[in-house]
Amino acid sequence: MSRALRTTVDHGRCVGNAQCVNLAPGMFRHNENVQSEVYDPAGAPEAVVLKAARFCPTSAIRVEDAATGEVLFPQP
Amino acid sequence: MSHDPDDLFAPEVIADPYGYFGHLRETDPLHWNARSELWIVTRYEDLVWLVRHHELFSSAVIKSDQRPPYPPIDAEDRGLFDEVRHFRSDQLVEQDRPAHTTMREAVHEYFTPTAMESWRPFVRAAVAELLDEVAPQGRMDVLQALAAPLPVRIITHMMGVPSEDRDHLRALADKLLYINRGESYRMKPLMEGIGAMMAYVEPKVGQRVLAPENDFISVLAAAEKDGVFTRHQVLVNTALLLFAGHETTMNLICNGTLALVRHPEQWARLTADPAGTVRVATEEILRYDPPVKSTQRIAATDVERHGKQIKQGDRIRWIMAAANRDPRVFEHPDRFDVSRSPNPHVSFGSGIHYCLGATLARVEGQEVFRALAERFPDLRLDTDRLEYQPSIQFRSLKSLPVAWG
Repeated sequence: MSRALRTTVDHGRCVGNAQCVNLAPGMFRHNENVQSEVYDPAGAPEAVVLKAARFCPTSAIRVEDAATGEVLFPQP
Repeated sequence: MSHDPDDLFAPEVIADPYGYFGHLRETDPLHWNARSELWIVTRYEDLVWLVRHHELFSSAVIKSDQRPPYPPIDAEDRGLFDEVRHFRSDQLVEQDRPAHTTMREAVHEYFTPTAMESWRPFVRAAVAELLDEVAPQGRMDVLQALAAPLPVRIITHMMGVPSEDRDHLRALADKLLYINRGESYRMKPLMEGIGAMMAYVEPKVGQRVLAPENDFISVLAAAEKDGVFTRHQVLVNTALLLFAGHETTMNLICNGTLALVRHPEQWARLTADPAGTVRVATEEILRYDPPVKSTQRIAATDVERHGKQIKQGDRIRWIMAAANRDPRVFEHPDRFDVSRSPNPHVSFGSGIHYCLGATLARVEGQEVFRALAERFPDLRLDTDRLEYQPSIQFRSLKSLPVAWG
């Protein structure tokens, strides 16, 4: 059973580069400002979510373990 | 004074783009420039809208624009212009979806913030080495001593080429700088640079296809093997890396150093705590006097904005230098404030073409400004004459003499 993640996109940073939408279309989509939003928190496997966060050119995506609050990305 | 208010290459526009494009931003935000037959977009909100809507505005600017280049080129160079077009059409920056998505994916991982942050020690050492050479002299031309050689060192390292080839590549990079300049003879040096660059890279790509290494040419060679890139695209995009990373970083370093020495109270804040302030300060440098003033799109369809009709095929230039000073977004936009935060400048663009090298540029800028603040706290301007290259795209000083000690 995979753990639940809390994934957030900082709209002060997101520029709509679409790496996350391309990598995990089941989880991220663009809003009317062409900025990314999470529409299904469980829409992609953890490895793909972490890759999407790493691929974000403005480091706008933060991924946490929903149960413990442990920050999985960005790594300290 | 130039008599035509639409002359984008008039000396006063080149010297002070902020006055000229700032006036357009406040009086005619979607301006039809009759002389160059293009729309000019200057407001922040319009620029972000335009760049993020890649389905409305195509990046295939060179490929699909059949009009003659602006400003005009020498008549005998039309053949060279066609060669340049053939070359530039294969650049990543000229691609639309779906081709762009696959091509960017192939190179994106190499440039992620995490990957580029790991280059910081290498960048720091290169900066220190260049400053060691000039430190005893008490003065330097920032352009020649630091801003031009640094990105060439980084990019040649990235390309996995030996250090003894650096001077050759820098000479080629200097020729490639003629892209988007105003000189009527610019096609000759540009095509010379392109030809020599492709000849230099070709055998290296062949080697990397057979025996990959840990460098960027190997990334492109692997993508060629996977069928993502043709050989011509590999060569063109290696050359793109050289000129995209060269001139832009040069301008970041020169424009930033100039802004800092011209604002002693801001410079004092940086020298008081270089490591603690340089990240935020570098963002303000990028906003205040961006390396790239403007770039272009072609309308992919008819679009209405501000009550005007943009027609399919129309050229549109969007002016980051003006949007970065839009008072609707930035408080006291003409004020240089190294602690400005948040700072959502658009100096790296936005949307799917957001600058691939943004993190590397930031790392290079941060390391340069930090080292200058640590080593030369009394840095000062050593000239009363500053001149810029006649480019519509780049904000490029011709030289920047400074002194210390």
